[in-house]
Amino acid sequence: MAETAAHTAAALDPLEPRPLVAPHHDDKSLNETLLDHVWAKPGKGWFMLFGLALSALGLLVLGVTVTLARGVGMWGNNQPNGWAFDIINFVWWVGIGHAGTLISAILLLFQQKWRTSINRFAEAMTLFAVMCAGLFPLLHTGRPWFAFWLFPYPSTLGAWPQFRSPLVWDVFAISTYLTVSALFWYVGLIPDLAALRDSSKGKLQRIIYGAFALGWRGSGRHWHNYKIGYLLLAGISTPLVVSVHTIVSFDFATSLIPGWHATIFPPYFVAGAVFSGFAMVITLIVPARKYLKLRDVITDRHLENMNKVILATGLIVSYGYLMEHFIAWYSGNEYEIWTFYVNRARGPYAGVYWLMIACNVITPNIFWFKKCRTSIPIMWVASILVNIGMWCERFIIIVTSLTQDFLPSSWDLYSPTWVDWSIYVGTLGLFSTLFLLFLKFVPAVAVSEVKELQLELKHAAHHGSHGTDTAAAGTLTHGAH
Amino acid sequence: MSAEPKVLESYVLAEFATPDALVSATNEMRLKGFEGMDTYSPYPLHGGSEALGLPPSRVPFIALGGALTGIVTALAFQTYMNTIDYPLNVGGRPTLSLPAWVPITFELAVLLTAFGIFFGILGLARLPQPYHPVFESDEFRSASTHGYWLSVPKAVTGKADDIMDQLKALGATHVTVVTGEKE
Repeated sequence: MAETAAHTAAALDPLEPRPLVAPHHDDKSLNETLLDHVWAKPGKGWFMLFGLALSALGLLVLGVTVTLARGVGMWGNNQPNGWAFDIINFVWWVGIGHAGTLISAILLLFQQKWRTSINRFAEAMTLFAVMCAGLFPLLHTGRPWFAFWLFPYPSTLGAWPQFRSPLVWDVFAISTYLTVSALFWYVGLIPDLAALRDSSKGKLQRIIYGAFALGWRGSGRHWHNYKIGYLLLAGISTPLVVSVHTIVSFDFATSLIPGWHATIFPPYFVAGAVFSGFAMVITLIVPARKYLKLRDVITDRHLENMNKVILATGLIVSYGYLMEHFIAWYSGNEYEIWTFYVNRARGPYAGVYWLMIACNVITPNIFWFKKCRTSIPIMWVASILVNIGMWCERFIIIVTSLTQDFLPSSWDLYSPTWVDWSIYVGTLGLFSTLFLLFLKFVPAVAVSEVKELQLELKHAAHHGSHGTDTAAAGTLTHGAH
Repeated sequence: MSAEPKVLESYVLAEFATPDALVSATNEMRLKGFEGMDTYSPYPLHGGSEALGLPPSRVPFIALGGALTGIVTALAFQTYMNTIDYPLNVGGRPTLSLPAWVPITFELAVLLTAFGIFFGILGLARLPQPYHPVFESDEFRSASTHGYWLSVPKAVTGKADDIMDQLKALGATHVTVVTGEKE
């Protein structure tokens, strides 16, 4: 394909960084490329995936209905395994969400230009992942219709929440995180919604996008406040994302259970969250950029950079594992030693443990090699393995520590029921449904920001060969629906 | 709804080919003494705020207000609820456990800062505002995608024709006059 040829041509000179936006674009062609997929009728593939996502969503409805009708006894949770799938999946989803904020906020503050093409995508992922995450603790309360008890409100009972409990901190952290992510996402969307309003052909589309665009007209007086506001939102999201997973890790670290009672948990959880989140971005963006024809703005360089982040955070996670094991041994505490060296590595869930090691410690190391960092099939498979590994990590942390704690008389094994599985698979369905709707109705790339970046790049750079230009331009017309 | 009919707003709109042309034309027009101008572009213009002569944004102050409100509110309600109104003895720990108040205080500060920024941006821009006279021009639709526009309120100085000529001399590719609808 000409496009692939263009990219290889650009990659040939190792001294020239590959472009972040294919160099032949101007504002108008960027519009066409980036807004096209909103106006185009979704293809067969989209409908097939959407059907699949909806069926998985059906499983969620089923699982939740059974849980509400018959109670949490339908889950595999038992004594001593009071926390299981619900918390595993909660932590897993929140972690996935974190890469979105990292990309949109932290990389903005560090002025990493490559974030611009992928931030919209990653923020949407954050939003939907946190929605899925929120479901689990809510259902785990057993009677979610009383979930408002978690918030401080003047009740007739005269009681208030216990603010020394990390579980109450969680309520504030997750609800703040969801709200701020949604605001950040929406603020970024407003100029693009205006672009959709103004490039729409039908009246209905114009009205709907117009309503969401709030009458945005790109006024310099508005941009003046918008620019600083957006930067500030990024500024506060950065500590927020760190605080959220820190507080999630406090749920464990402040307890006395062997395997949880560790000061390394906050940084180790945050690194793990970024690790799994970036992997999820790769998993989603690789097919999406192909089918939405976004290779000109989400280039191989973006993917390679993300793989570097996966490698770095993977190493931090590995270090976390190493330290946990070292401290367990160094502490001389027999329960800790039992948990790490007997129960986890050789106990009833040893298979999950070794899968975790294989996926999280070994897999990311392939990204030391440029060939692996730039190979689409390899990175896609690796990203899925990382997500499996991070799920296993949460399983290991939660289940192995609970099944065998201090008293052998209270030990019991845990196995999930079909209701557990259907809720878990169901949230995957919820996530995919929301994501597919997002890809259909909203520009998957922040159009306004890419235009600004493209202007900056044009001002700054003089390179970008002519041959590459024409080759890629040819594919663009060919690719444009 | 006021009883008197609203004075019709009218603007001279000029389109420029590039963002740089728009910024320099705006500068020129401001130096000539035009006031109340506005630029329109699909993304923020470099030097756009300076060209319009805008004072520093007030959004950071609104954000700071949100943050301080969040901190004070969170510390106050946690102390009131867990120390004064319903003190809980958990393992003999002090009922005023300030370190334990930190996470919620932080989260509420961030939440209210975000609200401050969001409603600050919208409030200062007077959005949502579904109608504005500039939308009367069909060509103006390009302002959100690939057009760079300048609006000069006509009422301020003299005639529209004169302004249009001046804008053309500054490189405008397209000039027009828009008048707002009656309220």
